[in-house]
Amino acid sequence: MKTILLILFFYSLALIQISFLPYFNIQGITLNLILILVIFLPLFNQNPIFLIRTSISGGFFLDVFSPTPFGFHVLILLGVTFLIKIIIKKYLRSPIFTLD
Amino acid sequence: MNFFSLRKSKILILIIVILFILSLNFYQKEVKNFFYLISFPAQKFLWKIGDQISDFFETIFEIRTLKKENEILKLKIQALLSENISLKELKNENVILREALRTGLNKEFKLVLAEVIGKDMDRDSILINKGSRDKLIKGLVVITQQKILIGKITEVYPNFSRVSLISEKDIFFNAKIIDKEISGVARGKGRLKVYLDLIPQTEKIEKGDLVVSAPGKTYPKGLLIGYIGEIKKNDVQPFQKAEILPLFDFKELKTIFVIL
Repeated sequence: MKTILLILFFYSLALIQISFLPYFNIQGITLNLILILVIFLPLFNQNPIFLIRTSISGGFFLDVFSPTPFGFHVLILLGVTFLIKIIIKKYLRSPIFTLD
Repeated sequence: MNFFSLRKSKILILIIVILFILSLNFYQKEVKNFFYLISFPAQKFLWKIGDQISDFFETIFEIRTLKKENEILKLKIQALLSENISLKELKNENVILREALRTGLNKEFKLVLAEVIGKDMDRDSILINKGSRDKLIKGLVVITQQKILIGKITEVYPNFSRVSLISEKDIFFNAKIIDKEISGVARGKGRLKVYLDLIPQTEKIEKGDLVVSAPGKTYPKGLLIGYIGEIKKNDVQPFQKAEILPLFDFKELKTIFVIL
C-alpha cells in the first residue's frame, strides 16, 4: 500500500513538473521537484528501503516523461541517494536532521 | 533467515527491479505512449491552470492593455515578415510571384495541426498530441502558423511525438541573415539559446538582423528563426558569432504545424 502511494505521489510530481512548472521558470531553468525531494529525504528518513523506493519511483517517472532511456534517472537518483547517505553518516555529527 | 541472507535477498530484489526497468527499453515507445495517453487529460488540465496562474501574475506587473496590443502587433509583424521573405526568395530564384495578402502557408506545405501537451525546458523539447497514427515520422519539421521554425520530430509514439527545438544542444543547421544574404550555421546551445556561428569576420552584422533557415538537409529554406542579439567578435578568431533571439515564445506555444 505504501509503495503504491509512493508511486502515485511521484507520478503526480512528475506531471506537475512537466505540465505546470514550465510556466514558472527562472532564466529558462525549471525546478526538478523529484531531484530536490530525493536529495532532502535522506536528511529526514534514513531507512534504506524507503530511500531506494523513492529513488526508483522518482527516477522511473523522470525517465517516462523525458527522452532518456529507462533506467537513466533511476540509476542517477540511486547514486545521489547513496552518496548523500554516506555524507550524512560520515560528516553530519548532529542528529538534528535525522528522524528515524 | 539470518541477517546476511535477508540483506542478500533485498539486494537481489533491487537488482531484479533495476533489470526490469532496464528491460523496458525494448518496449520504450509502447510504455511511454501508454503513460502519455493516461496522463494527457491531467497534463491538459495542469497546462491550463499553469497558463492561467502565469498570466495572472504577469498582469500584476504589466499593464494589461499594452501587453495585449503588444501580442497583436507581434503576430502582425511576424505575418508580414513571413510574407516579405516569401517574396524575396521568389525574386531571387526568378519564380512566379505569389499573392501578397496572406502567408499562404497551406499552399506551400502539406500540414498537420497539433497541440503542445508537454514541455521539457531542460532538454529543449516539447511533446505534441500527434504520432505515428497521424502519419508522423522522425525528422519532420515543426513550425508555427507564422512560419516560425520550432524544431523537428525526434521521437514518434503511436499517439504522441517529441519535438526537439532548434535550441537543443548540439543541433546545427544552415541559416542566413535575410537582406544581407550572410550565411552561417545556427547552433543550439540548450536552455532556449541559439547562436549563429561561422560568420566570416569581413561580414557586417547588426543587432536586430533577421535570421531565416537556409537551404540544407535539416530544414526547408525561408523559415523564420529569430533576430540577432549579442554579437561576439574576436579579431583572433577567423569567424564571428552572434546570439539569435528565437521568435517563438516557449511559454506561449500551444498549437503548431508539422510539415509532412
